[in-house]
Amino acid sequence: MIRKVLIIDDEDDIREVAALSLESVAGWEVITAGSGAQGLARAAEQMPDAILLDVMMPGMDGPTTFKELRKNPLTAKIPVLLLTAKVQSNDQRRFADLGVEAVLFKPFDPMTLATQIETALGWS
Amino acid sequence: MDSSDESATRNKEAAISAALERLWIRFLPEIKARVEILESAAHALAAGKLSPTQRESAASAAHKLAGTLGTFSLARGTELARELEQLYAGGEGPSPEQAAQSARELRGMIEGRAPAGA
Repeated sequence: MIRKVLIIDDEDDIREVAALSLESVAGWEVITAGSGAQGLARAAEQMPDAILLDVMMPGMDGPTTFKELRKNPLTAKIPVLLLTAKVQSNDQRRFADLGVEAVLFKPFDPMTLATQIETALGWS
Repeated sequence: MDSSDESATRNKEAAISAALERLWIRFLPEIKARVEILESAAHALAAGKLSPTQRESAASAAHKLAGTLGTFSLARGTELARELEQLYAGGEGPSPEQAAQSARELRGMIEGRAPAGA
């Protein structure tokens, strides 16, 4: 099944590798945003099946973007997966407590990123 | 998995590796710029002149490298960058020797990286 996934990350390299991975490996449609604010707009316009959201971004960070997504009735039910390079257990707990569907870690393997998302969201 | 599935998987992997190589080349200047920030911070640290802003920039550059390098088959780079991120973001910071050594090692592995699959 072709899924539509929105990637929100301020780092061009991460955004492009993740997009390449999801498009080429899984054949999904990918839309991207380089900031939390742009991500909120894209999510409401495009209504993706899931959102892959970076944690540390200048301006609106991932947790704030997630709360804003939840406040908007249009985007409130879209599953969100945080993507983070923070691996310390206190950070992981803090992210899990936000209520996101899953926390995925950077660096990721481009060959298995789609499978990680499918598993986390019960899509497989 | 039958042989046509295996062959399709191999082709897909080869296509992704080739695309990753193109992205590596495209983003290399950005990746090197992050290492330069770490090198400058190491010099400043050695001179006892590391400003809070420079320290914050070093933590941020290390964070970005930690998230990226492993994706391009540089797992050791992610490990080193992660260590530096924690040290720059934490109370004491790295020692000048460790900061310089890690920045040197990062530069060496980035400049010497072989293409994926080579």
